Amino acid sequence: MTNLIVNKFKQRNFLIGFIIILAVLILIGIYKPHVLTEGLQRSCLYALITLPMALLLGVVGIINLAHGDYMMVGAYFAYWLNVQFGMDPLVAVIPTLFVFFIFGIISYYVTFKHVIGKPEVNQLLLGFGLSIVLGQAINVIATNQPRKLSLDYVSSSMNIGGFQFGTFEFIYVAGALIVLIGLHLLLKKTRIGQAALAVGQNPRGAKVVGININWIYLFVFALSIAIIGAIGPIFGTRNTIFPEVGLAYTFKSFCLIAVAGIGSLTGVLWVSLILGISECLVLSSINYAKWSEMIFFGMLIGVIMYRSHQRQVK
Amino acid sequence: MALLKTIGLTRRFGGLSALSDVSMEINEKEIVGVIGPNGAGKSTFTNVVAGLYLPTSGKIEFKGQDISMTPAHVRCHLGIARTFQLMRPLYGLNMIENIMLGGLFGKGHSLKIARKGALEMCKFMALKDVERPISAMTALEIKKMEIARGLTTEPSLLFLDEVMAGLNKDETMEIIETVRKINQQGMTIIVIEHVMRVIRELTHRVIVLEWGKVLCEGAYDKVSSDPRVITAYLGEEAEC
Amino acid sequence: MKYWKYLIFAVCVLIAISLPKFLGVYPLQILNIVLIYVALALSWDMLLRSGQMSLGIAGSCGIGGYTAVLCTINLGLNPLVGILIGSGVAAIIALLVGYSVLHLRAMYFAIVTLAVTEIFRILVRNFEITGGPEGIILPNAIFKGDAAGTYWLMLAIGVFTIILSWLFQKTRIHFALTSTANDEIVAASSGLNIFKYLVIVFVISSAIQGMVGGAYAQIYGFVTPESSFSVNFTLLPIIMVLLGGTNSTWGPVIGAVILTVLAEALKLVIPYGHLLIFGVVMIIAIIWFPGGIIGILRKGGVQAHH
Repeated sequence: MTNLIVNKFKQRNFLIGFIIILAVLILIGIYKPHVLTEGLQRSCLYALITLPMALLLGVVGIINLAHGDYMMVGAYFAYWLNVQFGMDPLVAVIPTLFVFFIFGIISYYVTFKHVIGKPEVNQLLLGFGLSIVLGQAINVIATNQPRKLSLDYVSSSMNIGGFQFGTFEFIYVAGALIVLIGLHLLLKKTRIGQAALAVGQNPRGAKVVGININWIYLFVFALSIAIIGAIGPIFGTRNTIFPEVGLAYTFKSFCLIAVAGIGSLTGVLWVSLILGISECLVLSSINYAKWSEMIFFGMLIGVIMYRSHQRQVK
Repeated sequence: MALLKTIGLTRRFGGLSALSDVSMEINEKEIVGVIGPNGAGKSTFTNVVAGLYLPTSGKIEFKGQDISMTPAHVRCHLGIARTFQLMRPLYGLNMIENIMLGGLFGKGHSLKIARKGALEMCKFMALKDVERPISAMTALEIKKMEIARGLTTEPSLLFLDEVMAGLNKDETMEIIETVRKINQQGMTIIVIEHVMRVIRELTHRVIVLEWGKVLCEGAYDKVSSDPRVITAYLGEEAEC
Repeated sequence: MKYWKYLIFAVCVLIAISLPKFLGVYPLQILNIVLIYVALALSWDMLLRSGQMSLGIAGSCGIGGYTAVLCTINLGLNPLVGILIGSGVAAIIALLVGYSVLHLRAMYFAIVTLAVTEIFRILVRNFEITGGPEGIILPNAIFKGDAAGTYWLMLAIGVFTIILSWLFQKTRIHFALTSTANDEIVAASSGLNIFKYLVIVFVISSAIQGMVGGAYAQIYGFVTPESSFSVNFTLLPIIMVLLGGTNSTWGPVIGAVILTVLAEALKLVIPYGHLLIFGVVMIIAIIWFPGGIIGILRKGGVQAHH
C-alpha cells in the first residue's frame, strides 16, 4: 500500500497536481477557514450519498435513478420514528438499515429484476418511474409540506484559537469513511464481494463458474438500498425534508460517479472533495453565491465532453 | 501497388497483444486465406482493418492511403466491407431492408436505387421471398444476406470472417461458388476460415497467424505441410 | 394500396380543423393539451427509435418558451415568429450539446440532457433579463386568447409532428435509426455515419419541443422557471409513449390521448396523487408491456403499420 503511494509520488504529474492542491487548500485555510471545514463536511455528505450508487453501478452495472428517493423515504421513516417513538435519528440508522435491506429485496423482485440484461434505457426509465412513485407516495401519505427535526446537538460547535466551526457535520466525514472502508473490505476480502466483482465484469462467465448471479444482483441491490436508506436519518438530522429532496442528490451522485469513473469508489471521495470545497468557496463570496449550483454542472459537462471526445478517438 | 498493406500492425487489449507487428500485402483480385489456431488474432485483424478498433501502433494503407485512424464508416465508403463471425442480422429490418443498408449508406443511393440494387443482389445470391423477417430465415440465408449486405456497398476488398461455420457440405459448396463468382468480377477477398477444404479450394495464397504474429505465408500446399503450422494447430509431440 | 390510410388521415385533419365550430372553450383547451403532448411524445419517440433516450424534453420546451417570450417583448416580434425562433434556438442548443456528447451513449447522454435542462432553469432564474424567479408575463396572449386560434396553432404543430414522424419511418432515416438501435457495429460497417444521424435526429426532436414550448408560452401568456421547465414536460410524454407503444406514430398519439383524458378525469376525482398512478402505470408498462398498446395489438395479429 505504501509502495503504491510512493510510486504515485514519483510520477511527476501527480506530484505537481498534489502540490497545487495542497497550496490551494492552505490558502483557503488561511483566508476562509470556514470553507475548509464546511467544504469537507459537505463533500463527505455527497460522497456518503454517492457511494451506494457507485457500488450498484460500478460493481454490477445497475443504474437506479430512484437512488435519492430511497434516501428521502429513509429520512421520512426516521422522522416518523422520532415523532411516534421519540427515537433519535442517529439511533434510528440501525433499524432503518435492516428495514431498507428488506425494502431493497422487495423492490428488486418487483421491479429491477425484470430489466437485468435488457437495454439500458429500460433501467433508466424504470428508475425514473420508480422515483416518481416513491416521491408521489410520500406526497400522498405525508403531503409535501417540508419537515425538519429540531435536535439540539446538531448545532454543536468547537472553537480553536478563535475560529469557530460546526462539529456535528463531521459525522458525514465519519460516515463516508466507514462506508468506503466497509465496502472495500466487502469487495476485496469476502467471498460474496469477490463474486459481485466477477458478476459485474462478466455475468456469463460468473454463471459458468457456479456463481448464482441472481442472488448477487439481489444482494448488491438490497445492500445499496439499505445503505442509502440508512443515510436518510443522518441526512434528516440537519436538512429539511420534502418529497422531491432526493432528486437533486440522485443526479449529483451520478455526476460524481461519471467524473470519478464508474467502478472507482475511492475516486468518488476525491471528486466529492473537489466539488464540496468549490461549492463552499463560491457560496462564501456573496456576489456569486447563487451560481454555486453551476459549478457542479460545469464539472459534469466538462468531464462528459472530454470523455466523449476521447471516445471519438477510441 | 498493393490494394491493402499493413505495416507493423499491432493491437493490444490491456496487457494482451492480439496483433503483434503484422505486416502483409494484399494485391487486387487475390483471394487470400488467413488461418491460425484459436486466439491467433484472425478476427482482431479483420476488426482492426475494417475500423472497429484502432491500431495500438503500426499503419494500414488502403489504395495507397493511410487509413489507420479513419472511422469505420468512412473505410466502408473507401471500399472495405466485411461479414461477421457471429451472425449479426438487424432484427428491426427484414431481409431486403438489411441488404439495402449497404447501398443506402455505403454508396449514398436513394431508397429506390438501393432497393433495386438489393433485389439484384438477392437474385445473384439466390435469395427468395425477400420481404421476410429475420425470424423466418434459415442460417444459410442469413449468411448469404450478410454477404449481400456487404456487397451492396460495392467494396474493393471483402472480408469473409468464418462464413462457412455451421454449414453442411452442399451449403459450403454454394458459398464457395458464390465467392469465386464475386472474385471473377474483380473483387479482392480475404477469407478467414477454420475449414481447410475451403481454404484449399478458394485461395490463391494463405497467411498463417499465431499468437498475433505472422507465422508464414504462401500457397496452401506449401503452408499446410510446413511443420511450424502443423505444430501451431496440433501442438508438439508429447515426450513419453 | 396504402393510400387509404393517408386519405383517412386527411379526413381526420379536416374534421379536426372544423371542431371549434361545435365545441366550447373547455373541450378545446383539453384538445390543446392533448396536442401539446402528442407533439412532445412523438418527438421523444423519434429519438428513442435510435436507441438513445433524452430526459431533457422540459429543457427544450423551456428554452423555446423563454426565447419566444423574449422575442415578443424585447424585440417586438410577431408571436408566431417568436415561436419559430424559439424552436430554432432550442435546435441550436441541441446541436451544440449533441455535437459534444453524442459520442457517448445511453446513460451518459440521458443524464446530460437532464443536466442541460437544469442548467437553463438555473440560468433563467438568475438573470434579470429573463425575469428572475418570477418569470415574465406577456401583456397579451397570442390571438388575444381566442380559443379557436390557439387550437388551430396547436393543431398545426401536432399535425406537422405526426407527418414528420411518418417521414422518419418512410425515408432513409428509418434505416439509420433502426440499424443504430439494433447493432451499431453493423451499421457503421455498412457505411452509416451514426454520429451524424444521431445529432440530426436529436436536433429535430428538440426543435419540435422548442416549438411546443414556444406555443405553450404564447398561449398561456407567461414563462417562469418552474412552469416552463416543469418536469411534467419530460415525464408525461415518456409515460405516454410507453403506454401507447414505442417505435410508431400512432402509439404516442394513442398514449397522449388516453393519458390526457385520464389525467383530466382523475383531477376531478382525486385532487392529488394522479402522478402516483401514472408512475405505477409507467413501471408496469416497462416491465410487462415494453411494446405498449401498439405492441399488444401487433402481437395479437393486428398489423399496425405505423
